[in-house]
Amino acid sequence: MRLLFLIAANMATCAAAFADAPQQLTYERDIRPIFRAHCFDCHGATDKLEGGLDLRLVRFLKKGGESGPAISTEVPKESFLLERLRSGDMPPGEARVPDSVIDIIERWIAAGAKTARPEPESIGPGLGITEEELSFWSFQPIRRPDVADLTDLPATARVRNPIDALILKAARQLSNKADASDTIAKHDSFAPEADRRTLVIRAYFGLTGLPPSPEEIQKWLADDKEDWYDRLLTELLASRHYGERWGRHWLDIAGYADSEGYSTADTTRDWAWKYRDWVIRSLNQDMPFDQFVTQQLAGDELAGPINGDLTPEQIDLFSATGFLRMAADGTGSGANTPEARNQVIADTLKIVGTSLLGLSLQCAQCHDHRYDPIPHTDYFAIRAVFEPALDWNAWKVPNARRISLYTADDRKKAAEIEEEVKKIAAEKTEKQTEYMKQALEKELMKYEEPLRTQLRDAYQTAADKRSDEQKQLLTKNPSVNISTGVLYQYLPEAAEDLKKYDTRISETRAKKPVEEFIRALIEPPNHAPETKLFHRGDHQQPKQTVAPASLSVASSGGQPVQFPLNDETLPTTGRRLAFAYWLTSRDNPLFARVIVNRIWMHHFGQGLASTPADFGKLGTMPSHPEVLDWLADEFIASGWSLKKLHRTILTSSVWRQSKETSDSESVFSVPLLRLEAETLRDRMLAASGQLDRTQFGSPALIKEDDTGQVVVDGAQTRRSLYIQVRRSRPVAMLQTFDAPVMETNCEVRPSSTVATQSLMLLNGEFILEQASKLAERVSSEALPPTADQLELVQQIRRSNFQEWQYGFGAYDEKADRIGSFTAFTHWTGSRWQAGENLPDPAVGYVSLHATGGHPDIQGRAVIRRWTAPADGQISISGNLSHGSENGDGVRGRVVSSRSGKAGEWTAFNGNSETPVNNLAVQTGDTIDFITDCRTAHTSDSFNWPVTITLQAASGNDYLTASQDAFHGPPESIEAIPGQIVRAWQLALCRKPSADELKLAVNFVARQIETLQQNPAGIPKERTAGRQAITSLCQTLLSSNEFLYVE
Amino acid sequence: MTISRRNFLNQNALGIGSVALAWLLQQERADAIPKNIPKQNQTFDLTPKEPNHPPRARAMISLFQHGGPSHMDLTDPKPELTKFDGTEYKEDVAYSFANEASKKLLGTRWKFRKHGECGTELSELLPETGQIADDICLIRSMHTGANGHEVSIRYFHGGIPGVLGRPHLASWLLYGLGAETQDLPAYMVLTDPGGQPVDSINNWSSGFMPPLFQGTVLRPKEPRILNLDAPAHLKGEPQQQNLQLLQTLNRQHAERFPHEADLEARIASYELAARMQTAAREALDISQETKATQELYGLDQDATREYGTRCLIARRLVERGVRFVQLFLAGQPWDNHSNLGTSLPAICNRTDKPSAALVTDLKQRGMLDETIVHWGGEIGRLPVTQNQGSPEKHGRDHNGQGFSIWLAGGGFKPGMAYGATDEFGHRAVENIVTPNDYQATLLHLFGLDVNELIFPYNGQVQNITAGRKARVVQEILA
Repeated sequence: MRLLFLIAANMATCAAAFADAPQQLTYERDIRPIFRAHCFDCHGATDKLEGGLDLRLVRFLKKGGESGPAISTEVPKESFLLERLRSGDMPPGEARVPDSVIDIIERWIAAGAKTARPEPESIGPGLGITEEELSFWSFQPIRRPDVADLTDLPATARVRNPIDALILKAARQLSNKADASDTIAKHDSFAPEADRRTLVIRAYFGLTGLPPSPEEIQKWLADDKEDWYDRLLTELLASRHYGERWGRHWLDIAGYADSEGYSTADTTRDWAWKYRDWVIRSLNQDMPFDQFVTQQLAGDELAGPINGDLTPEQIDLFSATGFLRMAADGTGSGANTPEARNQVIADTLKIVGTSLLGLSLQCAQCHDHRYDPIPHTDYFAIRAVFEPALDWNAWKVPNARRISLYTADDRKKAAEIEEEVKKIAAEKTEKQTEYMKQALEKELMKYEEPLRTQLRDAYQTAADKRSDEQKQLLTKNPSVNISTGVLYQYLPEAAEDLKKYDTRISETRAKKPVEEFIRALIEPPNHAPETKLFHRGDHQQPKQTVAPASLSVASSGGQPVQFPLNDETLPTTGRRLAFAYWLTSRDNPLFARVIVNRIWMHHFGQGLASTPADFGKLGTMPSHPEVLDWLADEFIASGWSLKKLHRTILTSSVWRQSKETSDSESVFSVPLLRLEAETLRDRMLAASGQLDRTQFGSPALIKEDDTGQVVVDGAQTRRSLYIQVRRSRPVAMLQTFDAPVMETNCEVRPSSTVATQSLMLLNGEFILEQASKLAERVSSEALPPTADQLELVQQIRRSNFQEWQYGFGAYDEKADRIGSFTAFTHWTGSRWQAGENLPDPAVGYVSLHATGGHPDIQGRAVIRRWTAPADGQISISGNLSHGSENGDGVRGRVVSSRSGKAGEWTAFNGNSETPVNNLAVQTGDTIDFITDCRTAHTSDSFNWPVTITLQAASGNDYLTASQDAFHGPPESIEAIPGQIVRAWQLALCRKPSADELKLAVNFVARQIETLQQNPAGIPKERTAGRQAITSLCQTLLSSNEFLYVE
Repeated sequence: MTISRRNFLNQNALGIGSVALAWLLQQERADAIPKNIPKQNQTFDLTPKEPNHPPRARAMISLFQHGGPSHMDLTDPKPELTKFDGTEYKEDVAYSFANEASKKLLGTRWKFRKHGECGTELSELLPETGQIADDICLIRSMHTGANGHEVSIRYFHGGIPGVLGRPHLASWLLYGLGAETQDLPAYMVLTDPGGQPVDSINNWSSGFMPPLFQGTVLRPKEPRILNLDAPAHLKGEPQQQNLQLLQTLNRQHAERFPHEADLEARIASYELAARMQTAAREALDISQETKATQELYGLDQDATREYGTRCLIARRLVERGVRFVQLFLAGQPWDNHSNLGTSLPAICNRTDKPSAALVTDLKQRGMLDETIVHWGGEIGRLPVTQNQGSPEKHGRDHNGQGFSIWLAGGGFKPGMAYGATDEFGHRAVENIVTPNDYQATLLHLFGLDVNELIFPYNGQVQNITAGRKARVVQEILA
């Protein structure tokens, strides 16, 4: 069961609201909705009246059914209807009408069972739609409210456009109703305007879903022209990322997924992304929204006949219809049943209803809608619109619906290549036959005549023609039964040779043009099936034929517009096109309201009507109906331009308010908005510098990691909307932050705050990775320290201890100790040397790299120095190698500061092991690995990686390899404040305050200290300082300031 | 071992019920605690709340038995059914599987006998449950009125048959009472290693309530809670430092937005996350349990090890202040449409011993008084055969008209059998209990009133039963 049920209990409270109304109870307004919810299914909606009782008119009630009158105005309490309701006999089954609701009916009867107006002489079948139902707010025509009478507002009210005016007007009306004068004061203004930086950040996230770079912020802060804000909006609305941001919003309600769902197989949808890309491109172009929707509903009907290759326009129009192919569809993955087909249609209608009409159309699938005036027949009239393309009796599975983008040229090229392949295959067969023959002859040589000939004959006779004798022969001598599959065992070289043909075939095929497809809904020509109403929504109980028509309640006067059964001017029926035109016509009361409400919701966190997919009775009334109507009207008047709508909203004072003040101080307070899951991930990538801004194309694939968590596969860092959406495998990070798991579609996203999110931000692999990238980034982008900053870092205790150092000097043979050691001062990024240039003008060629180096003349040996971190015994293994044939090679010595030379080796155009065993050391002793030139100082490049094993007196073993431990200069502590400032800028779009900088420096200092106490805990290739900055970056990336847009 | 409030209360010898004492203690602090009368724009948190009346229970463990345990073979002896085995049933039957429907009565093949002092009759398939007969309150007259699994599961959890998007009973408890521990999620779900239960994550949804009140899943294998452990290089002091900095920054940020409850909630969620890192690990470490306890739950036997482990973890969680723990089964092992003779004993073997052990263990630790244990499925099964061709393959179809569940501890009357189905076990006929009654009764024992625990939603007021009729079943309360 995937039908959504309505919340029956709401009626109790609905009714309670009626009860409060002082007016007289009338049948139409007060009683009929109760019957609609509980009774009409059996007593009025259909021809079949249970017990002969019809509840649609009061005079029918009075007349009653087979059991007599249903109500008695004389003795109201004893009305049969009340008795049946109170006893719980009616309605049958589990459902009960709450007592409070029955009381209303009783009061109505007691008051004389009044109607609002005289009842008609006769009524047609079904429930029809009453005046009361039509008068519901969302079905009323959109009326542009009058904003002229707001001229008396003070200038301080900051009315920038009609949105502001209407909100203030509503607040004023509310205040006028209230008695206390202090409330009036409170409700007469907006909160102060947010500062410029806040507005820039808010606009960036709102329109592009990405943060501004520090440079972009700087640009806007420095802009001293008056129209800076206008130009900011212009720039952002023109950004290519705008379409990604708002495309993602649209994909939510369209139910976008890259998989078919329905079954556990959840087959992938390889070409759904073409629709996603179409959405992004169309929004970027600001395609008028009526067209945007019309193309999605009926792109194929607009595309015209296909003559030869698809035109770019046709490709776009077909791609647009992907909208109608977003519902889960199990018919291509083992469930091509009537149930599964009808489920696709039902889900598609649910998407259409909730996204475009803002109604729970799906609730009228089995019976008349319980709360809204949507008759069961209307549901099927809408279904009839889609039936020619989604015909459950002439169904096409997903793969049969896809449209190839091959052109005639492509096809020709492909055919040519297949011809080529055939030729290669023929060559291969020929060659194989030859090899088989060879193999057979080779094998037969093992047999004597005449057996040899007999075997050959037997083998060469077709299997079904062999005599019994021949069969026996072959059974007895199985090795003669050579098949192509085992040919390699007889002639290994033949198999190798044959493989070459396969390689050629696949190489040839690779030259074929890539065949791409569109996931589209295309109506076959001349196909106009009848749509039957399904009794109780059951396809096995088809009833009358229903013609395609508009939704009655959203049509003028409640009279549905009939759509053509088969438009003669089109190859298709034209039904969806007619539906799209009706939907987007100016008279439709729902469509424009629904769309502007969604846009408002994304900008303010909540729609003006907080149930964006339900503008019916169970939805909520708009808080500011006039704003909604003005926006809807303006939206249409502007030519359905979404970008203009954004500009209007973002220009309003209500949007530009500061959120820092308390909510009681504004007429319309707006909460901080937590970043959506995708935006959160994108922002982290943007901050760390890893964001790949490549647009469009097939989705980034996902995988399960070893904990079973679904993650993005590999290092794919494109924006999150390009990550594959598998219904059954939601990406853990996105789901944790409330990205929808696409069941059908997502009407509103929740914004949750749970401990699992915190755990993810503390320990999740993704954030750890981004924090480390951000740390890397800030280390290269940090500005040089200021004097103040230098003072701040004095507190960071500099570690004196360095395990490995690099320099040059000489061994003093007489003293048997190191004679001189000068540390290198220049680091190239991979090599230590004496100065910027090599050779250095003063000391020549001396240099060291990870595995080796180069000495200069005698007295200028290169020295790799290790300092013992603990007392104990060391053993050294290593290999001194020298490659050149020129010169005389190099000499390596190991010299301890405590005990002198421990070994000496030479290498010339060769290598030499350099073992040292059981050398006692004490903490702080140095072991120097000295390499000199011997006598000739030419061609002295050498390698000498060494590994030192220290058996410490404390019992711990310690191991260090010179190659792995090789490093550049110790980190500069002076750079830390600059790094902190940069991290702040990249993560939080601002510099830290003086206090924050101090706090962060203290933090880094403390963490460095902690880490240095346990250096083994520092991750490989990081220093304590880098790790501390990484921690700082992670903290910024998980802070509330990062997670919420102000 | 840490001393929880519960332990503290148990250890004092005032001679009054410890829950009542808790009530008294709460009363003293009542002024400081927000009342759970919902207001518009209220903020939500898990701080302890004042109940409507003194509670009997403070925690609950629900052992949900998916699929519909066959009550006439387990808990509800029907001699008439045995007597008329194979004959035609006269009453109307609603089937889910019409193609295999039959009207032939199917008597049980298992023997029933009386257990304990109370003499409640139970089947030989549940020998261990028999051992706790004097501790449980068996309801034989449950009724959902619907045969479907999801329909009835949602009825039990959310209050309306079939309706999705409603808060779980446990969400209501958290909303009404808050949490007792700040170190662990107050509502935890223990899923089956075999996979998700029927209706999947809807089973622990907080519906229209904020996600603060939704269940936290303990994964059946390591890592039990994702991202629980810090990476090696951050463990201990460095992560403490990070958190400290984070919370400092977050507090400074929140000061600028005093009305943003979400910011405070997120600060709190970090604190919870940090405490969970140590607390959850400790709570899940069943190696701390004695061999005797482990054997009690059947951890030494293959058939019971998995379910027993989860029952034992459930006890440890409740012991540490978790309000609500629910165990789920993968698939529907009690949905015995076929091969009743083998499939039913198999699931009994897996769950009987651990389920009974949980009650026994809670009792011997003095925790049963305040902890409710619930055992039961969403429906029961029909007294007629579901025809599978040959007798050994026969099974029983769904039945939401009458079935059994049992409850123990937390104020339920021990050693009681309540209500009855008709002579064949088809329909509940005496003292019918609906899921709404079940909810009202549970809330009552937690000190909450089903009609007063209300939540504003969509401009309207909701309670767990959505205004549907619900009574506190006083007869089954101790």
